[in-house]
Amino acid sequence: MNHDDASEHDDEMLRLFAALPRTVPIEAGQPDRIVAQLRREGFFRAQRRARRWAIQAAAAAVIFAIGALAGSHYARSNSLEDMLARTQLSAAERVLLLQRAGSAYVRAAQAYADATAHVDSSAVEVASRVLLGAAHAVARSSLDAGLSERLARVLQPASAPMPASRQPVIWF
Amino acid sequence: MSLPLLPFELPDGALIRRFLDGDEQAFRTLYERHTPRLEMTLQRLLGPWRQDVDDVVQETWLAACRGLHGYRGDARFSTWLTSIGVRTTLNHLGRRGDRETEILEEIPTPLANGPASGIDLERALAALPDRQRVVVVLHDVEGFTHEEIGAQLGIAAGTSKATLSRARQALRLALSEGVSNES
Repeated sequence: MNHDDASEHDDEMLRLFAALPRTVPIEAGQPDRIVAQLRREGFFRAQRRARRWAIQAAAAAVIFAIGALAGSHYARSNSLEDMLARTQLSAAERVLLLQRAGSAYVRAAQAYADATAHVDSSAVEVASRVLLGAAHAVARSSLDAGLSERLARVLQPASAPMPASRQPVIWF
Repeated sequence: MSLPLLPFELPDGALIRRFLDGDEQAFRTLYERHTPRLEMTLQRLLGPWRQDVDDVVQETWLAACRGLHGYRGDARFSTWLTSIGVRTTLNHLGRRGDRETEILEEIPTPLANGPASGIDLERALAALPDRQRVVVVLHDVEGFTHEEIGAQLGIAAGTSKATLSRARQALRLALSEGVSNES
């Protein structure tokens, strides 16, 4: 108690003031209401962390989705099928397309050979037909500069000369 | 190597820093340390409106937490918190003022036979006009100076002193009337 002007108090008043309780017990759970309010206002770490985590997760999901879409679009636009379907290609792009198609054929044949213990006739037939078809197409387009014929001669077995009437197998 | 201090062992300053860093337990410790005193003070300040004390305590803590970044530690935390509680109570009393007369009629009850008791004093305090009650509680119970009370209430220190004098006279009268009425 502040004793300024205490002379106005008689002893009885002083005793009463001094005897007044200074504290009141708080009930269990009493802080919960204000803690909940403070949590809503973002005072506590868990809340801040959870909110930050949610924002980061949402941002990551958006970035991932954009990346996936962009990657998918890029992959589609550069696939062999897509490039073959496109008509607006430059000469350099068409050369590149030829190289990629040839490489794809070689990789497919190699993968098939690696995946099987023995070579079966159907696979050989498919591979041969594709190769032959491609060679004919190249020859028809005059893109082989006589190479197809020279290749056929090299590949022709020596013991089995090619009949004169038969067209040489054209390779590229 | 000494063990780290438990929250209830930490001083207010350390708890405040932890709370501002998002530590809920630090806040609970501060609350449990200071609310018993704060609530008692606000109950007395509210007088006939003491049933509103839970809301005023909550409002006080919220205001304190929101303004805690501005607490510089110049005054003790309990003093700073009480100041906020006083302002919150005055605002609350201002909102409640229109029903004061009606409520006050219910408050003073006959005092018990014999010398006046603490309960009699509490009732007499509750029956005082708001301004007088606030001044006498802050000065005679909480130990504020007239300068501090003046700053809290926006009045001059001399006005606070005069108000205290009138409040004490009213208290003496109320206590003596109560005792003589009973005897």
